Order: sequence, then C-alpha cells, then structure tokens
Amino acid sequence: MDTTKTHEEWLREMEEKSRAKQKTFIGGISSKLRRPMVDDAPPHPFRGSPDFWNAYEWNEQERINRFTDNFVSVGGHVQRLETMEEVRGFITDKANELSAKYIVRQNEPELAGLNLEDELPDARISVWNTDPEQHWKARSAEADIGVVMVDYAAAYTSSMVVLSSKDKGRSVSLLPTVLIAIIPVERIKTRLGEVMVQFDESGRANLPAGIHFISGPSRSSDIENDLTIGVHGPGVVYALIVG
Amino acid sequence: MSHGPGTAGGATVKERADLALNNEFLRKAVKFTTERLKNGKLKAMEEHGNWEEWRERGRQIRLHTIAHLDYYLNMFVENARANGVHVHFAETAQEAVDISLSIAERKSAKSVVKSKSMVSEELHLNHALESIGVEAIETDLGEYIIQLAGEVPSHIIIPAIHKNRFQIADLLSEDAGEKLEADTKILAGYVRRRLRAKFLEADIGMTGCNFAIAETGSMVLFENEGNARMVTTLPKTQITLMGMERIIPSWADLEVMATLLPRSATGQKLTMYMSGITGPRRAEDADGPDEMHIIIVDNGRSLQLGDPEFQELLNCIRCGACLNACPVYRHIGGHAYGGTYSGPIGAVLTPSLQKNIAEWDDIANASSLCGACYEACPVKIPLHDMLVYLRRRKVEAGYGNKIENAGMKGFATLLSKSGRFNTVIKLGKIGQKFISRGGEIRLKVGPLAGWNTYRVTPTLPKKSFRQQWGTLDAEIRNGLQEMSPDIKKRMEHAIKDRAKGGGHGHGHN
Repeated sequence: MDTTKTHEEWLREMEEKSRAKQKTFIGGISSKLRRPMVDDAPPHPFRGSPDFWNAYEWNEQERINRFTDNFVSVGGHVQRLETMEEVRGFITDKANELSAKYIVRQNEPELAGLNLEDELPDARISVWNTDPEQHWKARSAEADIGVVMVDYAAAYTSSMVVLSSKDKGRSVSLLPTVLIAIIPVERIKTRLGEVMVQFDESGRANLPAGIHFISGPSRSSDIENDLTIGVHGPGVVYALIVG
Repeated sequence: MSHGPGTAGGATVKERADLALNNEFLRKAVKFTTERLKNGKLKAMEEHGNWEEWRERGRQIRLHTIAHLDYYLNMFVENARANGVHVHFAETAQEAVDISLSIAERKSAKSVVKSKSMVSEELHLNHALESIGVEAIETDLGEYIIQLAGEVPSHIIIPAIHKNRFQIADLLSEDAGEKLEADTKILAGYVRRRLRAKFLEADIGMTGCNFAIAETGSMVLFENEGNARMVTTLPKTQITLMGMERIIPSWADLEVMATLLPRSATGQKLTMYMSGITGPRRAEDADGPDEMHIIIVDNGRSLQLGDPEFQELLNCIRCGACLNACPVYRHIGGHAYGGTYSGPIGAVLTPSLQKNIAEWDDIANASSLCGACYEACPVKIPLHDMLVYLRRRKVEAGYGNKIENAGMKGFATLLSKSGRFNTVIKLGKIGQKFISRGGEIRLKVGPLAGWNTYRVTPTLPKKSFRQQWGTLDAEIRNGLQEMSPDIKKRMEHAIKDRAKGGGHGHGHN
C-alpha cells in the first residue's frame, strides 16, 4: 500500500478506474443483449403491484386490528392508547417494572413532551445526538430501553417504518434490549406499497440514509429450527398505537 | 477450507450424496426443515391470495429489468454515486476480492463483520481477508456457527441446517472457552453477547444485497436477526457486494419483491427487518457508515445474458423455495451439490456461472425433472427445462461422440458385468437422443440392427428400475427406522407451536 497517498487521492483514483470500467462493464451487457445501450427510459408496463392490490384498503379500525394481530403473532406487544399522557404512563410503568437504568430516545418534540426525565428520576435518559462529545452508538448499546416515534406503519405486514436523520438514530431502534415504538394512529396504512411509493415520489435526493421496516422482535431459527427471540436486535418490542 | 462431514470427500454428486445419505441426522433435519419451510410457504400463499397473479407480476418485473439491465444498472450507479457511494465493478471473483482487500488495507482494518451474502461465498472472501491478517466474522447466527466449524452453508436460507444443537454447543463452547449447555436460548444468548462486542469494534461492515433500486440508488436487505442492520449502522466503513442482476427499477417494484421473497423463503409476511440504505450517513447523522462502497459483481452472470435458454436465471431472487420443494435436495442436502448454491437453482446456476458444463453435468443429473422447482419459484424460472438443456449441452459439447461410439461396440462384453450394464443404460439414455422419435427407436445400425429389422425399440425410461430400486430401498429402510425420541419430541413440539401460532415459528434469516 502506498502510504504517501492521502485517502482522498486514493478514492479519486478508484473512482476514475470505476468510471472507465463502467463503460466496458455495462457496454458488455448491452452487447450480450445484442443491441446498443438504451438512453431513454424503457416503458415498464408492470411497475409495482397489480391494480387489484393497489385498490385494496381497510378502514382505520381494521388497520389497527390487523396490525395488532400480526404483530402479536410474531411475538411483539401492542398497546392501544388514547393520549400521549397514557404513553407517558405506560413507559414509566414499564421502565419501573424492568428497573431500567439507561434509556435512550430520539430527539423529537413528541418524545420531549413526555417529560420522562421527571417521571423516572433514577434512570439515565439520553436524547439522541444532543451532545457531539457523546459516543451515541455506545449510549444506545448500553440502553435497556430505546424509545422512538414511528414515521409510517403498514397493517398488512405489521411493519413500523423508521427513517434516520440527525435527530433520529438508527441505533435507537436496534441496540437497546427493549424497544418502545409510538405509532400515531393516522400513520398506519393498509399496505407496504402505500409507504414505499412515497419514497419514489420524494425522490433520491430527499431520502434518508436509513429506512428501516421493523415487523417484530429480532428472531432466528438457525439452531435446529428452534425459534429464538432477540438474537441481535431488541427481543422485546412494544408498539404503542396512540390517538 | 476444511470441511466437515458431507462437505467434501467426493468428486461427484453421487459420492457426496452417498456421504449425506449415510448421515441420518442430516437427512432427517433437511427433510424436516424443508418441509416446515415448504408448508409455511404454502400457507402464506393461500393466506395472501392471488398467488399466481403476484408470481406473474414478479416475473414480469424481473424480465423487464434484465432485458434492460444496462439501462437500469447505469441508472443505479449514477444515483448511488450521487448519494455519496463509491461504486466499483468486478468482472471476476478475483477482481472483487482485490477491490475488497484494497479497501481493507486502506482502512488498516483489523476486523470485518459480515451479514449473510451469497456473493461473498462465491468469492471465498473470508479466506482472502484472513490472508492479509483481517479477521472476517460472519454474524448471522447460522453462518457464525458454520464458520466456527470451518464449513460452508448447506441451505441458502438456513445455513446450519445440518448441525444439531449438541454439535453447535460444542463449537460455541470451544469459542467461549467454557462449557455451554445445549440449550437454544443459552447458545443464542452467548452469540448475541459475543457478537455485540465485535459489531462495536469492527472497522468494516460487509453485506450482500437483496435488491438495488435503480431510481434512488438504494440497496435493500431482508433479515430477521438484526445483524445486517448492525453491520450497516455501526462500523465506519461499509462494503456491499452486489450481483449485477440484483436491480429493480423502483420502490413500487420492491413491494412485489417484498411480497414474494419472505413468503417463498420462510412463509413470513415480511422478515422482521427490511432496510433500505441510501448512501453513507449524512454529515449531521450520528450513526451509519462514514464511507460506503458497493462492488458490482459479474463473476459469470453475463454468460447467461442473451442466452435464450438460461437468461431467466438472472431473475432469481434467492429465496430457496426450489430447495425446499425438491425431492432430491431433501434427500441429499446442500453440500452434495458441491458449489455455493445448492438445490435446483444451484444445479443450473453453478455450471452456468462457471461456463464448464462438462464438469458439473452430474449436478444436472441430480434431479428427477419433476418440475416441483418451477412450481415453487416465485418468479417462475423454468428450472426443470434448464436442467434438460444442460444435459443436452454436455452431449453437444463433444461428450456425445464418445458415448455414441461406446454404444456401438455391441452387447456381449458389456452384459458380463452389472456395473458396465448400468453405465451403458445411462449412456444409452443420452445416446438415444439422436436416434429416438416419439418414444421409439427404428434405427437399424449397431447393436440394434438385428432387433430393429422386425421390431421397434422403445426408448429407455428416464430412470431404470435398477436406479429406482436404490432410492426405494433406502426410503423404505430409513422410513421404518425409529426416530430418536429426542428428535421426535422436538419436532412434535415444533408442529404444536406452528399450529397455535399462525405465521410465527418460521423465522430465521
């Protein structure tokens, strides 16, 4: 390895190589397909799900019921709550019940409004990415409970979708032992596709680095088909449907 | 690489399969697991409904993408670059290895944590990394186990299908330096703790890629354990190995793939995690990689492009449904196939990727051509037809002449030994392709001259009675043997769990 080169220089060289190679690599594909490279978007008549599916929709109560049934069937827990007051009560009780010492939460106004610090004076509650000196991955890894707001949900597969940002760490929904995810009821759609098309519509430049669909607790059946919960990600997941 | 029982020791599928057939546990475990997955899939298909329409839609999307692969791959690359990803192209396995190693060297990496990647298996990347002093750690529970054993995956979805809990406890105890009980929870708990530390200290995270979305330059991973999320969230550098055909045009198309893949693989509505990664972390984010590389790998894939008989292989979404449906796989297990990919897809893909039809032809013969693989395939790849094309191509590749010549030498010496007779019957089946019409042979030359003067010879059956006898005999004998009470109890327990728990119980990565 040439250590005199800076890493930036090396990356630039690699990029030049990559761009040169791209021509032969993709040109090779065109010639295998026995035609010149196409420049215009080919018509794609089968884009996305079949029409009958795109028209499929449940009413709100059914979305809640189906989300709940699916989520429970894969080992998750669901609570139906009316207000953020009730959410505060649930999280406080759960933290006390589990004797949680470390809690990490996303930096979002709804979560700040819960005032968990006042309710749980004995727990150390960190707010994601509020202090540049902190090692935030380590804060999440040590946490007993992670608390997140869910951006979208899909009832058909009981999936909660969380998007990353400066204020929303990917680690918060991944590293703690217990995950508590709050779903404002109006964010629950029927189908996955309703969530996915929004990413097509918003376009590349507006997508976050991490989009995560979470459909239950971490699991594995790799040892003799015996189901184990909480292999790498959170083993206990609460979905709190609010509103 | 050292191999455990069933992974090596035979030059042909037949020899490797004999090893597998002798391994009672393997045979039962493979049978049980594949049936569990197959039934899970059937249930999920029925529950979801309109399965044929979904399958057809999945097929159309894959056909469309592959037919315009140059266009969509270019689009993906430009968008990924715009997201800040460093994109590389590798025509061969060696090129992909070289690029990976140079990144690791640049980063002075001590360790690489990996989530499941079949491309990485194709490249034998772990050995390459170890050769430059970089520790490569598989983090999928099953993959970690077989890595400790020094083996390769035997099932695309459940890689450690061939190991029992006691063997696993021994391997993990050795790793831990203390005796671990053969209890799934204890073993999985140990791996969780052990790998947590590895995730947090690793320099590089390495992943495969289930789908790459052309319009946004995003790469998508399906998993159940959370290790792929760890690998793409914690280390400072991420490397993604991507087969060049993994492309789909849009997120809308991802809904179709997300409908087909988990249901076909495990019977799940969706895997516990599905992640779309669009570039490295944004400047203000506090997690995610600083630097992200995607290595786009050909390694034989372009050989299938423009080949009318095999191009549809590129439509494969790597779900493993054809393995679970295959009566041959169920008997011989994955290692008997001798390549990275096993089962019907492996039987076609391995020779196609390697362009050496002759050497791998015996894999194509490890199939009864029953069509169960095609029926199971969520994107309708005609695998059973491809197996026939492979057999024919071997004949066309020049091996046919020897066979034909051998067939013309007359019966006398051949009939004197049953072994030789078997060989001739086998050769005859191939040789007769040239002379049979509508199931009859009327040719009046060679050994058939006398007979055919007044009669018509029927073509040889696909499987002679003698060949069938071996399987029937083994089936009867093995079927009658008592299962060990332990295995029986566990299986009964699993069935009970399944009965009361809907879709759950089918999970794994």
